[in-house]
Amino acid sequence: MAFRWSRMSPQLALTPAVAITVVAFIGSILWTIYVSFTSSKAFATYGIDFTDWARQYERLFKDKGWTIALKNMLVLGIGSFLAIVFGFILAALIDREKRGEGFFRTVFLYPLAVSLIVTGVAWRWMFNPSFGLQGALHSIGLTFISFDWLSKPETAMYGIILASVWQGAGFYMALMLSGLKSINTEIWSAARLDGVSFWRLYAEIIIPMMKFTFLTCAILLSLGVVKAYDIVVAMTNGGPGQATWVPGYFTINAYWVKSNLAYASAAAALMLGITALIFLPLVLLTAWRERARTS
Amino acid sequence: MPRVIFEDIIKSYGKLTVLKNLDLAIDDGEFLVLLGPSGCGKTTLLNLLAGLLDVTAGRITIGDRDVTDLDPKDRGLAMVFQSYALYPTKTVRGNLKFGLAAHKLPTAEIEQRIAWAARLLQIEPLLDRKPAQLSGGQRQRVAIGRALVKKVGVFLFDEPLSNLDAKLRTEMRLEIKKLHDELKSTIVYVTHDQIEAMTMATRIAVMDAGVIQQFGTPDEIYGRPANLFVAGFIGSPAMNLRPATLSVAGGKVAARAAGVDLDVSHYGFLTAPRDGQSVVIGLRPEHFGEPDAAVTDPAGNFSLPVQHSEKTGSDATAYLKFGDGLIATRVDPELIGRFKQGDTVNISFPQGKLHVFDAQSGRRL
Amino acid sequence: MSTGLLSGDARVEAAPRFPRKRKGISGRSIAILVFLSICAAFFCVPLYVIVTTSFKTMEQIREGAIFSLPSPITFEAWVNAWDHACSGIRCEGLKVGFWNSVAILFPSLMLSLTLSSITGYALALWKVRWAGTFLFILFICAFVPFQIIMIPLIILSSGLKVYGTIWGIAIIHAVLSMPFLTLVFRNYYKGIPQEIMSAAMMDSGSFWRVFGEIIVPMSGNIFIVVLILQVTSIWNDFLLGLTFGGLGTQPMSVVLANVVITTTGEAAYNENMAAALLTAIPPLVIYFILGKFFVQGITAGAIKG
Ligand SMILES: Nc1ncnc2c1ncn2[C@@H]1O[C@H](COP(=O)(O)OP(=O)(O)OP(=O)(O)O)[C@@H](O)[C@H]1O
Ligand SMILES: [Mg+2]
Repeated sequence: MAFRWSRMSPQLALTPAVAITVVAFIGSILWTIYVSFTSSKAFATYGIDFTDWARQYERLFKDKGWTIALKNMLVLGIGSFLAIVFGFILAALIDREKRGEGFFRTVFLYPLAVSLIVTGVAWRWMFNPSFGLQGALHSIGLTFISFDWLSKPETAMYGIILASVWQGAGFYMALMLSGLKSINTEIWSAARLDGVSFWRLYAEIIIPMMKFTFLTCAILLSLGVVKAYDIVVAMTNGGPGQATWVPGYFTINAYWVKSNLAYASAAAALMLGITALIFLPLVLLTAWRERARTS
Repeated sequence: MPRVIFEDIIKSYGKLTVLKNLDLAIDDGEFLVLLGPSGCGKTTLLNLLAGLLDVTAGRITIGDRDVTDLDPKDRGLAMVFQSYALYPTKTVRGNLKFGLAAHKLPTAEIEQRIAWAARLLQIEPLLDRKPAQLSGGQRQRVAIGRALVKKVGVFLFDEPLSNLDAKLRTEMRLEIKKLHDELKSTIVYVTHDQIEAMTMATRIAVMDAGVIQQFGTPDEIYGRPANLFVAGFIGSPAMNLRPATLSVAGGKVAARAAGVDLDVSHYGFLTAPRDGQSVVIGLRPEHFGEPDAAVTDPAGNFSLPVQHSEKTGSDATAYLKFGDGLIATRVDPELIGRFKQGDTVNISFPQGKLHVFDAQSGRRL
Repeated sequence: MSTGLLSGDARVEAAPRFPRKRKGISGRSIAILVFLSICAAFFCVPLYVIVTTSFKTMEQIREGAIFSLPSPITFEAWVNAWDHACSGIRCEGLKVGFWNSVAILFPSLMLSLTLSSITGYALALWKVRWAGTFLFILFICAFVPFQIIMIPLIILSSGLKVYGTIWGIAIIHAVLSMPFLTLVFRNYYKGIPQEIMSAAMMDSGSFWRVFGEIIVPMSGNIFIVVLILQVTSIWNDFLLGLTFGGLGTQPMSVVLANVVITTTGEAAYNENMAAALLTAIPPLVIYFILGKFFVQGITAGAIKG
C-alpha cells in the first residue's frame, strides 16, 4: 500500500506517550524488580547471586517493620471501608431528601480538595493530648473519654483511619450519588406506586443495582490504601516507634533512611504485587461491564 | 467529469462480509440512488467511495484515477451526512471555509465560493450563526453548502433528508434535484425512502444483503423488477406476490393461483415457460381495474370477499381474501364505499401489467 | 396564545375550587436533615478548629479550650507562617514553598494537558495500530504505586540533570499523570460523533488541523475539568515534591510538613495551623468557585476510567 503521510501523523503524535510508558513505567518497573534480586546498597549493582536470589524478600519477611506495615495496611483497609459505608449513607440521604443537596455535597466533599498533609496536620492538632479535643472534653468533665490516640501505639492507626474517613467519605459519596442518579427515575415511581418500603427498596433493588459502583469504590479504596503515605507522614511520621508504618512508608524509609536500594526495591515490588491482586478484579470488572453493555 | 467505477468490491468486518463482489459503474452527471433496507450496506459502500473506510479487496476508480488507496481529501469528493455533522463550534461561514481546508485556495477565491454557495442555497443571512442556532432545514442547507463550495465532480449524500419532517423533505428533495440539474455533477445518494429514489434518480441501484439486486432507471425498476426482492421492495402498497403454477397448453400459457387462472400468453417470458413450473406472480395494487367494471381483454377476473379497507385521504386500499392470504388493491377513494367487509366484489387485472418470477431462484421470467 | 377555545380557560382566573393545603415538611425529612447536619458539623469541625487556632495567641492555646474563639485575634501566626517559619534549618516561611508550587504548576499543567489531550485524541478518533493494547497498558499504569518506579526515575532525572529542579518536578508530574489524563480525554473524545470526524477527514484530513480547529474548540469542558483536577493534585502532592524537590525547590506541602513535623522545642500550634491553611487556601478557593467541574473530574475519572 502506498505510503500515506496522514496515516503516520497519529502514530507520530503518540510517540511521546509511548516513550513515557515504555521508559517511565514499563522499563522502570522491570528495573526495580530486577534490582530487588541484587544486593545493591546505596548504588545500583547489577550482579545477581543466583544461589541466594530471594535474599531481600527473605529479609523483608523477617523484618518486624514490614510485618507491622502489612498489618497496618490491612487495618487501614478495613477501617477505611467505613468511608464507603458512610459515603453511601450520605449519598442515599442526600438523594432522597433533595433539600440542601448542593450545600451538603459541598460540605462533605471539601476535605478532598485539600492536601492530605493539611488533613494530617489538622487532625494531629485535634489529637493533641494536652490542648486538643481531649483537653476540651476533660475540661467539661468528660474525663473518661481519651482522645490522644496518636500518642499510643495501640490506637495510633485508628487516628489515621478517622482522618482518612473524614477526607475520603465525600469522594465515595460523590461516586455513589452519581450512581444513584443514573438509576432510572421510573424505578422510584414504580416503587412508590407499589408501596415498597424504604428499607426494602434499598436492600433489594437499589443496592443490587449499584453493584458496579460499589465494586469500583472498593477497588479504588483498596488501591488508595496500598499507596497510603502522606497521611501517615503528616499525622505520626510512622510513630510512635514503628506503630503506624505502612508499606509505602516502609519502602521510602528503606531507600532514603537506610539507603538500601535493593531492599526498597523488593518492598516496592511487593507493593506492586498487592496492587496487581486488587487490580485483577478491576480488569475483570471492566471486561464484565463491557460485555454487559454490548449484550 | 468523472465516471465512478467499483470493481469487485469486498468489504468485511472480521468474519462478517458486508459487501460481496460488488460491481457498479456510475456515469458522469448521473444522479444515482442507492436504495435498500436498513443494514444492507449502503453507507458502507458510500464510505468506501469517500475513503472513510478501506476496502477489503477490489478497486475504485474515479475518472481515470485509481483512488482505492487515496485519502478522503484527495479523492475529489464532497459528502453530506445524515446528521449533517456540522462543526458545532464554527459559524456557518467557518464550516464552509473548513470544507476548503485541504485545498490551499487564495482568500478571494474562498470568499467568492462561499458567497456563491450561500446565494444558491439561500443561507446568506445565516453565515455568522452557529449550527446550534439553526433549524433542521437550515442545517441541512449548510451541510449541502459545505459540500458545494468544494466544486468537486462527485457529491455523496447519505440519507440527508431522513431527519427532516415530511413537508421539508419534499421541499429539499426538489431543491437537491434542481441543484443537480444546475451543477450537472455526479451525485451518489443513499436512501431507504423509495419516493426519494423514484423522484430524484436517473438510475437506482437496489441493494440487499450487500448485493446489488437491480441497477436501472426508476421506470425499469418499477416496470420490470429483476427479482422478487426488488418487486416486493419497490411500490407502496407493496406488490401482491402469490405462488402459482404454470400450465402450457396449445400456445396458451396460464398461471393458476388459488383457483384463479391468469392468462399470461402475452407475457414477455425471458425463458420459455414449462408446464407445471412453480412461479410467483406479481400484481401491483394500483393496476387492478375498477370494481364490477369489465376490463377489455383481462388477464384474469377475480371474485373475492372484502376483508377490510382503509383510506388515507387521497388514496384508498382494499384488502381482499385470496386463497389463504390477502391481496391489496388500490381503489379510487370515491368508490371505497363499494368495498364493505364481507361483500364479494368482482375485479379484473389487465394484461401486460403482470410480473412472473421463478419460485426457486426468485428471478424474473 | 390560545384564545378561550378551551372551555376551562374561563376558570383560570377564578379561585381554585379545590384548594390544597401546602404540604408541610414530613417527620422523616426532618430526621434526615438533622442527621445530615450533624454529619456536616463533623466535616466542619477540623476546619473550624484550625481557623480559630490560627488566630489565637500561644497563651490562649495553652489554656486548652480548643473550641473557644480567638481573643485577642492576632495575625501574627499567619505572618510568621508565611515569612519566618522554620523548615529544617531554613527559616524563610512558607512563601518559598508557595512560589515553588506556583512555578511547578504552570509548566506542569502545560505539559500534561498538551501531552494527554493529544494522546487521547489520537487514540479515540484515529485509526492507530495497537490502540486497544496501548489503552490497556495505560489503564494499568494509571494505578501503579509510585514507589515501584521511584528509584529509576530518580536515577533517570539525575542523569538528565533535572533532579532537584522545579522543571524536574514539573516534568515528573506530567509524566506520572499522563496515563490517567489520557484515559479521561480519550473517553471524552470517544463521545464526539463519528460523522463529525468523517466530515473533518473529508474536509481536511490533517491530524493537527482537525485537532486545533475542530476538536479543541469542542473540548472546552473537559479541559476545565482536567485543569482543575490537575491543579489540585499538583498543588496537594507531597510525595513527588518530597522525592524530586531539592533544597529550595520544595513545593508548599513539603515545606508545610517540614514546618510541622521537624520542629524542635514547643510547637507553635497557631503558626502550624496558619501554615496548613495557607497551603489549603488555593485548592479550596478553586473548589468553592468551580466545584461543579471538580466533582465532574473526580467522578468521571473514577467511574469511566
Ligand atoms: N464497524 C462495523 N463493524 C461491524 N459491522 C459493521 C460496522 N459498520 C457496519 N457494520 C455492519 O455492516 C452492515 C451494513 O451497514 P451499513 O451502515 O452500510 O448499512 P446501511 O445500508 O447504511 O443501513 P441504514 O439504512 O440503516 O443506514 C450492517 O449489517 C452493519 O451491522
Ligand atoms: Mg446508513
